[in-house]
Amino acid sequence: MDVALLALIVLWLALITYTVLGGADFGAGVLGIFTGRNAERQHEFINHALGPVWEANHVWLIFLVVGLFTLFPKGFAILCVALFFPLLLALLGIVLRGAAFIFRYYAPDTSSLFANVWWKVFNIASVLTPFFLGASAAAVASGHLLDPSGKPNAANVSPWLSPFAIIIGLMGIALCTALAAVYLTVEAKDAQDAFLCESYRKKALIAGAVTAVLGLLGLLLSPIYAPGLWRGMLGHGIPLVIVSMLLGLLTAALLWLKQYRLSRLAVIVATAFLLSAWGFSQYPYLVPPALTVSAAANEPNVIKVVLISVLIGLIILLPSLYYLYSIFKLPYPAPGRVTQPEGHRKSDGA
Amino acid sequence: MSDLLAARAQMGTSLAFHIIFSALGVGLPLLFCIAEGLALKTKNRDWMLLTRRWSKGAAILFAIGAVSGTILSFELGLLWPTFMDFGGGVIGYPFMLEGFAFFLEAIFLGLYLYGWNRLSPRAHWLCSFPVWISALVSAWFVVSANAWMNTPTGFVLKNGRPVDIDPIQAMLNPSTPYETIHMMLACYVATGFAVAAVYAWGILRGKRDNYHRKGLMIGMLMAVIATPLQIISGDFNARFLSDAQPTKFAAMEAVFHSGNGLPITIGGLVDPDNRTVHYGIELPKLLSVLAKGDPNAPLKGLDQFAPSDWPNIPLVHLSFDVMVGCGFFGLLVAAVFWISTAIKRRIPLNRVLLWGVVIAGPLAFLAIETGWMVTELGRQPWTIVGFLRTADAATPAPWVTISFLVFSLVYILLAVALIGLLLWVARSPMPQVGMPGQEQPVEKAGV
Repeated sequence: MDVALLALIVLWLALITYTVLGGADFGAGVLGIFTGRNAERQHEFINHALGPVWEANHVWLIFLVVGLFTLFPKGFAILCVALFFPLLLALLGIVLRGAAFIFRYYAPDTSSLFANVWWKVFNIASVLTPFFLGASAAAVASGHLLDPSGKPNAANVSPWLSPFAIIIGLMGIALCTALAAVYLTVEAKDAQDAFLCESYRKKALIAGAVTAVLGLLGLLLSPIYAPGLWRGMLGHGIPLVIVSMLLGLLTAALLWLKQYRLSRLAVIVATAFLLSAWGFSQYPYLVPPALTVSAAANEPNVIKVVLISVLIGLIILLPSLYYLYSIFKLPYPAPGRVTQPEGHRKSDGA
Repeated sequence: MSDLLAARAQMGTSLAFHIIFSALGVGLPLLFCIAEGLALKTKNRDWMLLTRRWSKGAAILFAIGAVSGTILSFELGLLWPTFMDFGGGVIGYPFMLEGFAFFLEAIFLGLYLYGWNRLSPRAHWLCSFPVWISALVSAWFVVSANAWMNTPTGFVLKNGRPVDIDPIQAMLNPSTPYETIHMMLACYVATGFAVAAVYAWGILRGKRDNYHRKGLMIGMLMAVIATPLQIISGDFNARFLSDAQPTKFAAMEAVFHSGNGLPITIGGLVDPDNRTVHYGIELPKLLSVLAKGDPNAPLKGLDQFAPSDWPNIPLVHLSFDVMVGCGFFGLLVAAVFWISTAIKRRIPLNRVLLWGVVIAGPLAFLAIETGWMVTELGRQPWTIVGFLRTADAATPAPWVTISFLVFSLVYILLAVALIGLLLWVARSPMPQVGMPGQEQPVEKAGV
């Protein structure tokens, strides 16, 4: 197999992982806006769900960035110029989201003005980041990001502000929200909180439906704004497109039937297929229509060294990651875990 | 402000902000590993209380460190796309490995900070080991990438592009051992003094309990071990630079004219136009002794290089002197503190000495900041020495000035909120005392 393709697959897997883990953390921030009654209870619940894992989830993004500039230095340089503004805006959102979450979490008085203001910042940043990341992805997929000679131009804002890019940006928000809501149904069920569980189930169904509608709208707009993507999606990408649609429907059905754990699995796989459909449709281009994967790639021997190191790294990383989730997110005990005293959720972080 | 200057200013501000959190991110985990180990062994409440306090502060500081580090990883490309196009493929590798180390750190930090009630005391303590080890390792990786920018190796230049890339050789470039060790030690020096300063301040305000004395002692212990090593490492760096980066060395020491048996110049007003230093203190022959171990050894001055290849000499010289001054002040404070402890057989509570500790805390961070200014400003006008000038590395994007202003405002906002929150948390009367999570680990110690 072509080593550059292998490198692309590794990065795409990191992108999928970041979306299903980090994306859901943004979604939790979006859900924080729609709390209705029991706002405080839901804030605590989101705090509890995010606290131990958000930093680890966030590292996938760093992995993605450094992986991109190590494996595809030319691609990274071009994207950084062409997407200068949307990436800066996403970055602002990422920074404010992380900082705001931790400020609010550790404020000694969670009803203070300080805590409330940062909670709002957390919410707003959680909306902005997936939007600009989604719009950036749409700009790459559109095939209009680079001028015909293949040169990037930061001042050209139309690729990431086209109706297509805006729809995909909104879809990014909706997808993150759906992911978060589905995960939170499981956590609420484990915490035996029937009210929250039901509330998140409804929100998951609504966010999922919005994601689907925006996705279809994006697909309908793509012949005009992203013709290459449209051809790819209907061409060699069609099986993946169909499977991700079916998995989306399956997620909804499982949620309807209150099969929360299965719906969590389904929504993760659906997201993986959705992102794969995009990648597959625009292959062999990293930035269509000018920059191919092989033209953007680093020398094969460097890619080999990096991929071997990634493999070794994962051997250490995956068991550690499993341990983290087994302590905080899984129902059965892991070595070293003790039963948590009731009613001291917040004191986990104290 | 030109876009190039704005790009440099934004990168510099981001680094100056991030480095504070990175240094604490390397130093604090070792401290709470030691303190919790002592708590489990001695079953002393104060040690556990210190650990709990620090872990709360660490959770806030590390989160800010993680997000400010993310800014930097993006800014490498957003502000310096040509640098990444040229250098990303050569030096991305240690960044990638740093990513893994940071990942492990984040995982075990999550377990450590949020697992007080979920993990047995022993499992909890064991989680602190991967945190401090991977923090140290990630510092090594990321500084090796900076070392490469100073002494680039591991590739061949062909048609203006790097080819035949050997990422491992690039990572192990000549500067790597000197720079990485200097930075790793700096983290421990700064964290040690910072922690000691907090408790010295408490004692000065009348809190003379065992809790504060223990906090002061453990901070000063870290400082007294790391500071002398750091000064030795600094000496190695200076000698290395006099050969490997003579322009940087000459700028640090404000040496305009080459010669034999050169004096060292401390302080003074550097006048690059007239190629002289006004009002500096000159110690004869000392520079030749320090750099070459021979009072009459020849040294290269800036006259050997074209002025277009000079860094900003007044800034580099000033930063260097401030760094060295802060370092020696710390050494003095640590030495007096421990000599006095050895004589009196207890922690000294002399007000002047405690004030010295309080001042040494911020000065240790000032040393880190100015040290990085020496490294980064001293490398100018190059981004990759000999291969890529900073002016050619910058982004062609417009409105970089606005981006700089917006990000500066965000940093100010975060700094104010962070300091406010840390003071607020510190003033809240130990909310963890008397909670089940607090009592448990102490009682179960040694299980």
